[in-house]
Amino acid sequence: MRKEFLAAGRGGQGILLLGHVLGHAVAKYTKFYVTVTESYDAETRGGDSKIDFIIADKPEELDYFKVRNSDVALFMYPEQLVKYERLVKDNAIVFIDNYFIKEVRANRKWLIKEAPYTQIAEEKIGTHVVANMIALGHIIKVTKLVPVEAIIKSIKEVVRKKWIYIDIKAFQKGLTL
Amino acid sequence: MRTEFITTNIAIAEGAIMAGMKFYAGYPITPASDLFEYLAERLPQAGGLTVQFEDEIASINAVIGASWAGAKSMTATSGPGFSLMVEGLGFAIITETPLVVVDIMRAGPSTGVPTKATQSDVYQVRFAPHGIYSIPVLIPWSAQEGFDLAIRAFNIAEALRTPVIILSDAVLAHAWEKVRIKDLTEIKVIDREMPQLKNKNSWLNQKSDLVPPMKVFGRGYGAKVESLIHDERGWYIPNNETYRKLVWRLVRKIEDKARFLWDSVTYLTEDSDYLVYAYGSVARPAYAAVKELRKESIRIGLFRPRTLWPFDYFNLKKASMKVKKVFVVENNEGKIFREVQRHLRGKEVIPLPLIDLEVPPPEDIVDSIREWL
Repeated sequence: MRKEFLAAGRGGQGILLLGHVLGHAVAKYTKFYVTVTESYDAETRGGDSKIDFIIADKPEELDYFKVRNSDVALFMYPEQLVKYERLVKDNAIVFIDNYFIKEVRANRKWLIKEAPYTQIAEEKIGTHVVANMIALGHIIKVTKLVPVEAIIKSIKEVVRKKWIYIDIKAFQKGLTL
Repeated sequence: MRTEFITTNIAIAEGAIMAGMKFYAGYPITPASDLFEYLAERLPQAGGLTVQFEDEIASINAVIGASWAGAKSMTATSGPGFSLMVEGLGFAIITETPLVVVDIMRAGPSTGVPTKATQSDVYQVRFAPHGIYSIPVLIPWSAQEGFDLAIRAFNIAEALRTPVIILSDAVLAHAWEKVRIKDLTEIKVIDREMPQLKNKNSWLNQKSDLVPPMKVFGRGYGAKVESLIHDERGWYIPNNETYRKLVWRLVRKIEDKARFLWDSVTYLTEDSDYLVYAYGSVARPAYAAVKELRKESIRIGLFRPRTLWPFDYFNLKKASMKVKKVFVVENNEGKIFREVQRHLRGKEVIPLPLIDLEVPPPEDIVDSIREWL
């Protein structure tokens, strides 16, 4: 088994943290092996931000570091959707933040799951910065990639203290979408 | 044993601590800085010391000093910093100082591209210091191997009284992976041999004629650390007899142990008509390429050394015995190709120098190989 997951958005949307929380959960609390590489621009806000996430049940299946035919993808911003859609295969499950991405023009057969993650974060949790955790909740609910408990433990271990409670709340909100 | 989700840089740091490292000296440089930053916090918790010096020259010399004071020591850097360490490394070689240098390759020459990876330093780490010597170089392909090879690097350094290089690169350095952090019951840790005190002024009580016991400072030995050509006592004697004896020993103590240092892995080679030779981060897309080509019923396998130097010609010859062609895939202009060709005389060896700041993707490797099938 070898599955690829790509998440991309703008710097500041929490893409890298999402990858880190998910990777930590997979590595520590499942039997699966994982490779995560990050790419980001020099700006802390507004630049390109992407994670290449590969999960497998045998370490030798984690050959190449980068995603080429993603099974699952998350796009949080239109520019990155245009830039990276070629890395997502047909029939992939694609999560879209439709607060920013109004229209998916990619001419591909994707199973699209969309929700206004950023808007939900702002309205239900009180800050847009936890949109990433809402998206993560949605992804876990649909794909069942990792047990919910593992993600919650991972958030507690990875995220800075003052954000733990609010991130878990956002993640749980995502599970209800 | 515990499981962590860490980068290769952090895995190397954890492996070094597990091997008993007590001193780290360094100067920040991308992509090695975060290894340093991690150890600044972590090493004191493990009873050691991390110090930032004014530059890489001071760092390697501090590491040499600490090793002579009895502490297992390490530094990490990248190409430009390694260039500055070369003089100190030569000093460590002739004074037979056990230490580990982690070189995390970035694109060069000079400052090149700090954040991007190539494999352009595979000769620099082996041949940069002047003089006659040999030096072991280990090359991981994953975070797990970063951990495992760090322990091995310290063991080789201690057993053979030599500097050992761990050669990583910018892509591996910052790839996050699942790593099994083994505990002390699962690993073997080797410590340097020291002379017995009753013979404290003599080097002659050594078991092996290749690796003399180390007269660590402050233990009552009459230690003399000499970078000029010296005899067993550490006295400068500039004649052929002493010179030949010393430099042959520096070479032989590594090369005679080569079969213990060699550590190569093969994949899908049992029935191969073709063999891909690749190392470090590039071996991963090379392995993906091999699997792609296998889907088209092309019988191809992968040979991957985890010890780059001394060069493992023995297992390579064995693996390539029945193949028609050997492809050497590397992220440089074709450096190790020459070494492979030199050892596989009469065999068709094809260089595939795929220079790529990100690590060449499997498609590029498949396409390049296909041109030669």
